[in-house]
Amino acid sequence: MAELEERARAWEDRVERALAKRPERKEKFVNGSDIPIRRLYTPRDGVVSEEDYIEKLGFPGEFPYTRGIQPTMYRGRFWTMRQYAGFGSAEQTNQRFRYLLEQGQTGLSTAFDLPTQIGYDADHPMARGEVGKVGVSISSLLDMQTLLKDIPLDRVSTSMTINAPASVLLAMYLVVAEQQGVRWDQVSGTVQNDILKEYAARGTYIFPPKPSMRLITDIFEFCSKEVPNWNTISISGYHIREAGSTAVQEVAFTLANAIAYVQAAIDRGLVVDEFAPRLSFFFNAHNDFFEEIAKFRAARRMWAKIMRERFGAKNPRSLQLRFHTQTAGSTLTAQQPDNNVVRVTVQAMAAILGGTQSLHTNARDEALALPTEDSARLALRTQQILAYESGLTDTIDPLGGSYYVESLTDAIEAAAWKYIDYIDELGGAVAAIEQGYVQQEIRRAAYDTQMAIERGEQVVVGVNRFTVDQEKPPEILRVDPAIGRVQAERLAKLRAERAEGPVREALVELRRAAESTDNLMPKIIQAVRVFATLGEICDTLRGVFGEYRPAVF
Amino acid sequence: MQQIRVLIAKPGLDGHDRGALVIAQGLRDQGMEVIYTGLRQTPEQIVDTAIQEDVACIGLSSLSGAHMELFPEVVRLLRERQADDILVIGGGVIPEEDIPVLKSHGIAMVFTPGTRIEDVASFIRSHVKLRDLTDLPPVEPVAKQVDHIGIAVRSIAEALPFYTRHLGLTVERDELIPDQRVRAVFVRAGDLHLELLEPTAPDSPIAQFLEKRGPGLHHVAYRVDDIDAALDALKQAGVRLIDERPRPGGLGKRIAFIHPKEAHGVLTEYCQRTGEAAE
Repeated sequence: MAELEERARAWEDRVERALAKRPERKEKFVNGSDIPIRRLYTPRDGVVSEEDYIEKLGFPGEFPYTRGIQPTMYRGRFWTMRQYAGFGSAEQTNQRFRYLLEQGQTGLSTAFDLPTQIGYDADHPMARGEVGKVGVSISSLLDMQTLLKDIPLDRVSTSMTINAPASVLLAMYLVVAEQQGVRWDQVSGTVQNDILKEYAARGTYIFPPKPSMRLITDIFEFCSKEVPNWNTISISGYHIREAGSTAVQEVAFTLANAIAYVQAAIDRGLVVDEFAPRLSFFFNAHNDFFEEIAKFRAARRMWAKIMRERFGAKNPRSLQLRFHTQTAGSTLTAQQPDNNVVRVTVQAMAAILGGTQSLHTNARDEALALPTEDSARLALRTQQILAYESGLTDTIDPLGGSYYVESLTDAIEAAAWKYIDYIDELGGAVAAIEQGYVQQEIRRAAYDTQMAIERGEQVVVGVNRFTVDQEKPPEILRVDPAIGRVQAERLAKLRAERAEGPVREALVELRRAAESTDNLMPKIIQAVRVFATLGEICDTLRGVFGEYRPAVF
Repeated sequence: MQQIRVLIAKPGLDGHDRGALVIAQGLRDQGMEVIYTGLRQTPEQIVDTAIQEDVACIGLSSLSGAHMELFPEVVRLLRERQADDILVIGGGVIPEEDIPVLKSHGIAMVFTPGTRIEDVASFIRSHVKLRDLTDLPPVEPVAKQVDHIGIAVRSIAEALPFYTRHLGLTVERDELIPDQRVRAVFVRAGDLHLELLEPTAPDSPIAQFLEKRGPGLHHVAYRVDDIDAALDALKQAGVRLIDERPRPGGLGKRIAFIHPKEAHGVLTEYCQRTGEAAE
């Protein structure tokens, strides 16, 4: 090292002299998380010794999992290509699903419309204008049957972006599986089920934090017994980042939320190694290539430590941070939409080099509307090209040992721990969100980004540099505005034709269970089975739990 | 200068509030007073808040595709509550081709992703200022639309062929209005009528009008929902009326005239459709 030090200093002297004549592009190089970026990284930075390697990196599939959670990673199997899709009616989305599966997609990911996500039936007054817009409208078991028609639930894993009413949609899924003759221990998939980030960043909450946490732990408990291959939660940094946070905040707030969920489950009396293996995560793949790769690696290492040291988990699967990644919608531009294909490619590469377990690549037209079929296919093709043609997948963690990436991984971890410590001081994630701390941190970062763009310090190609005057409007997907009426009619028919007695009975049972501390899943499944609607089930729970009303900070 | 008050609102169920929050902060930095509604506001709630807080501008944000239903509804409710002097602008994920439609519904401007806050602020400043030049907010209740235009003629038989033959319009009704001592022929032109008026007696107001000014535009009539209340409101505001009480007009309407001086030389009529005319 002594010789290296000497030569490095000599090099720096030479550079300083050269800079006097020709300065660099910027005075200071700092990334989005405010981490200063050096001119050059060498063996003096990051991982330097054998001990360091063993402590900080280890081997794939081994603690602390920095290099990946599986021993072979993509040499064994690629990540799951899982494109988020859903719009309009259950029929339309079912068609898009089957199209994507035919195109070689390997898992489903369901987007629900906002009324569904907030537990309103399609004919509720608040649903006006929103039915079928950002996802598929599901109000009852009938819709779920249509959505999953001819899709073999024992072979396809399904991720559902559903949070506040996650129990209800999971219940519907399980009943449809059963009707298909598929046992619950054969189905696999994910419910997002992450309410804390809804309060902090995404906005589709229904109930106050306490009963929400109970609904979540009910799912943990139920699935650990009945649906062992189901990912019971997808703890999401994605939306926190989309709302404007930095990469460090994304890791920190997500892991802080994860800590809150684990603690809640333990407080409920669950055994950590029984539910923790089914916890999964969801991160954003943003623009800064190396920062993103380092972020994924840091998150894995931190989670392993949290689970082992803080919660005493012993099962290796409890320590492994498994995550889905989506490229960053907020980086896509309405201007020159084809440019987005390039952004998505770079972001997807970061996710792959970061060791993701599944990936959604955004479509180029996302800043304009929902993706057309062509755009959706191109997005999937992007992943397939990276998987089959690029060679990114032939060795594990190819950037491990990069002086820069290791140094950045350390820096992100250190900065994220500071946030987690502070959130612990505030009383944990729930308290930090209730006090508005997390929201304010995200908001400040979002505003800083906007200002940097407006000042031209942060370049967005096609928006504040390299713009064109006239653009021909691309073809976009339109959701039929009649969908609201069609769904309302379908609901009216359902309500007229179903047997009312069992519905009333099931809802009374559910109310009783909600007032007690019983697990709600079996009651919700019963209600779904007799065709109680999503809105009716959620209203029953609203009656007991009340609704969350955020303070406007 | 007076500080501009702006309401930033999230109509519908959309939870994406990054843009709304950034704009709110940005407009504050531009010297405006900004109120943010929070998520999940109905158009009614937004209009209530805007009126209560006496804002000059409402900024609506939606990224969920519900803008075509929810944005125009806000403008409609503002009109209904006579608060359409409030400037309404919108933003979010809004396809290019929706923008002209939104504008036709009274959304003054739509800002899509990539807009600079400064541009939003300067738009608000210039358009809110224009508002100051306009009259006081209209008194209650507003005229809903032009109901008909009265045209004084010496002879309907002579005047009518121009409208039917050359303009291709059709006659909907021909009647005598004893109260006014006129014969009125109603010609339909799109959503409104032309009312050709011919005096039936020398002391008819139309006869006097023809004597003084010759044939031509006689009056413009606006449809109101409640003519009694409308007249009361005008009276209270000190507007000079020709008719303090409504009287029967053509097509079974109840009508009343407002003094032409008030409308700068145009004889103005209020009319309320009754059962017969409303069909």
